[in-house]
Amino acid sequence: MGEKINAFITVMLLSVFILIFTAADVTEEDKVFSETENRLLASRPEFSVESLVRGSFTQDYETYVTDQFVSRDKWISIKTRMDVLLQKQEIGGVYLGKDGYLLEQHLPESYPQATIEKRLELLERLVEDWNADVMLVPTADNILTDKLPGNAPYFQQRVFLEEAEKRVGREHYVDAFSALKEHSREEIYYRTDHHWTSLGAYYGYLAWADFTGERSYPYDTDAMVLASTDFLGTLHSKINLEWESDSIYYFGETAEMPVTVTYDLQKTAHSLYEESYLNTKNKYGFFLDDNHALVEINTGNQTGKTLFIIKDSYANCFVPLLLPHYDTVYMLDLRYYNGRLYQLLEQYATEADILVLYNCIHFLEDFVYA
Amino acid sequence: MVFSSVLFLFRFLPVFFICYYVAPGRMKNFILLLGSLFFYAWGEPVYVLLMLFSTLSDYVHGRLIEKYRGGGRAKLFLVSSVLINLLVLCFFKYADFLIQTVNVLFGTSIPPLNLPLPIGISFYTFQTMSYTIDVYRGEAEVQRNLLDFGVFVTMFPQLIAGPIVKYRDVEERLHNRSVDICTVSCGMKRFCVGLAKKVLIANNIGELWSEISGMNLGEISALTAWLGILAFAFQIYFDFSGYSDMAIGLGKMMGFYFPENFNYPYISASVTEFWRRWHISLGSWFREYVYIPLGGNRKGLPRQLVNIFIVWMLTGIWHGAGWNFLLWGLWFAFFLSLEKLFLGKILSGLPRAAGILYNSLLVLVGWVLFALETPEQIWGYLKAMAGAGGVLDSQGLYLGRQYIVLFALAAVAATPLFTRLVKQLEHSGTGLGIGVYRLGEKVIPVILLILAVAGIVDASYNPFLYFRF
Repeated sequence: MGEKINAFITVMLLSVFILIFTAADVTEEDKVFSETENRLLASRPEFSVESLVRGSFTQDYETYVTDQFVSRDKWISIKTRMDVLLQKQEIGGVYLGKDGYLLEQHLPESYPQATIEKRLELLERLVEDWNADVMLVPTADNILTDKLPGNAPYFQQRVFLEEAEKRVGREHYVDAFSALKEHSREEIYYRTDHHWTSLGAYYGYLAWADFTGERSYPYDTDAMVLASTDFLGTLHSKINLEWESDSIYYFGETAEMPVTVTYDLQKTAHSLYEESYLNTKNKYGFFLDDNHALVEINTGNQTGKTLFIIKDSYANCFVPLLLPHYDTVYMLDLRYYNGRLYQLLEQYATEADILVLYNCIHFLEDFVYA
Repeated sequence: MVFSSVLFLFRFLPVFFICYYVAPGRMKNFILLLGSLFFYAWGEPVYVLLMLFSTLSDYVHGRLIEKYRGGGRAKLFLVSSVLINLLVLCFFKYADFLIQTVNVLFGTSIPPLNLPLPIGISFYTFQTMSYTIDVYRGEAEVQRNLLDFGVFVTMFPQLIAGPIVKYRDVEERLHNRSVDICTVSCGMKRFCVGLAKKVLIANNIGELWSEISGMNLGEISALTAWLGILAFAFQIYFDFSGYSDMAIGLGKMMGFYFPENFNYPYISASVTEFWRRWHISLGSWFREYVYIPLGGNRKGLPRQLVNIFIVWMLTGIWHGAGWNFLLWGLWFAFFLSLEKLFLGKILSGLPRAAGILYNSLLVLVGWVLFALETPEQIWGYLKAMAGAGGVLDSQGLYLGRQYIVLFALAAVAATPLFTRLVKQLEHSGTGLGIGVYRLGEKVIPVILLILAVAGIVDASYNPFLYFRF
């Protein structure tokens, strides 16, 4: 009799588990977008005899059911916790580094010589055509190497940058690598996000000033303004675990400059910082309103100089520091711009200083010049 | 449809079993057939017709063999049944392999057919063949009920990945089976264990193999290469045995008792022993329907060795339509022969650990042949294992560190240790032992299920290595 009761309990436990989740899953409404994964979730596929016969209907239906499974995010975090229990030091392309640092993984094989060749060739042409300057910023895994897990593989950006410097020429190359390496013990990268901090951008700025011969503006690193204390960035989203949050600082001096910012020739603002982002997950968007194709900043300075910067999101916390040196700054993000770079340069940049500012990885992935 | 999916666990399973348990006795087979056809058609909306054809064909053949029993025509129908099955199998599975071979040998350039492989075809054709052969031999009674026969061929627990069930193993229970709460509980627990083996161990450690096998084989260190093939060895074992566990568990939940398919093969101390513990149902099928008809070991030693070579060539090629699979089969045939000749005696005189080491090395090298397709890859990988790319490197150390806990877990789970521990607790007689057992047997399956679901949701891609068979 005892046997039967035990069996009954086991059967009940398992059945109830399956039935509860089935019922919950079936009755729950479909979600459109996953904030944690930052992507659209699959929706119910349309039925057609053709798609059934081809097999695509059943495949799509399975993807749909899995994408929409109740408490999807919680299940994923259980899996992540299992990985941590298994002592894995890399989850979802992110290294779980020392001192609470999350470092994005960039494997050497993802950046073969052919890709490097291709991008550097385009960059070389741009520099030649337009006398542009180049500032390629290394990512955290190359500077904070002591925080990486032991023997962790990473793409060696120092070698790549040396090559880049040779190709574009010393006179066009800003050495951000050395500047950041010198300050690697400071908080120059976020712990939960792939971007550099405002402090990191500041050291980059100093390197830029050194390169151009401009006198650097006396920003006070001890008086930075705290914008947020619970920033959980892109890398945290990838791992979906509890993690200590970052603080976002910016230079108060930059907020005091009178500016007019025009986004994509439409929206205007009078601040470099968009506070509404601080209430969302994507707090880094605070800097220059996140991602836009073309941003025009008019400073009202009387320097007579214009800057055209071809950039990725690393520039968003860097450009505010450059403003004392220019009347007008144009920022172009090639990912959101559909036209030809050459044409845009002809339109805006014939009299301007041109700067290419990317982190190394985005440069190798996104840069084009046509 | 795959067992390790949200769709199966939280749609098909509850709906099917509610219908099945509620249905009255005679209706149960009908529900099972319907459910199984739906299960199969979900993955193969067109090829389900092929499976139905195969079913019908052997149902008819069985009846015809029975009708003409004793006469020459019975044999004719037996041959016809086997031929049809083999033809279907060869056409859909081996056509392109044969075409390629002909092209290489004769310099022709016949274009490949590029037919997608019907899921489970290697399993269900073997099952239906075993039926007609057994009916002919008088070892099984003909099945006059098309529904019941259909259930035998198509029932979803073992349809796509085995174990290969001989007709006489389920003959009785096709029309006369019952379950009580204990068998259902047993079946459910078995299912959960199998699911956990597949999702938590196989899928996980398979990532390491996936990563390493994608590397430039000329540059990896010996450490990396060994880690890789070890990962594959664990992946294929836990994948396949996990699937067999799930099949057996589901069968039990309906009152079927499928034969065991794996018996901790990696603790084997000889290749002979390994093949008594690995994919048992296939070995059993080949022994019964090929090895013994060829004479087995009853026609002298030389003939026995020839029989071994034939059977293992077929075993190899059954696993995949490629020369590397044939080589894999021959690799084992060679060592099986050596063991029959003299090696077996030597091994039995040595400590068991030596035998385990010997077998493990051979099996690992065998997996290299199995897992890689081209001669360059195979040779390259073996060279890497021998240290051609260096012995240690930071990559190997890093990968080893990432997977060390999983390897340890897999290694222990590949031995009977857990099972013995559970049995000890169950029969320990002390209050504490039994208490732990009672608690564990209820709680652990649920935990395994929860963790497996987490793994399934986390992965969008969830392959089963023996899937395309």
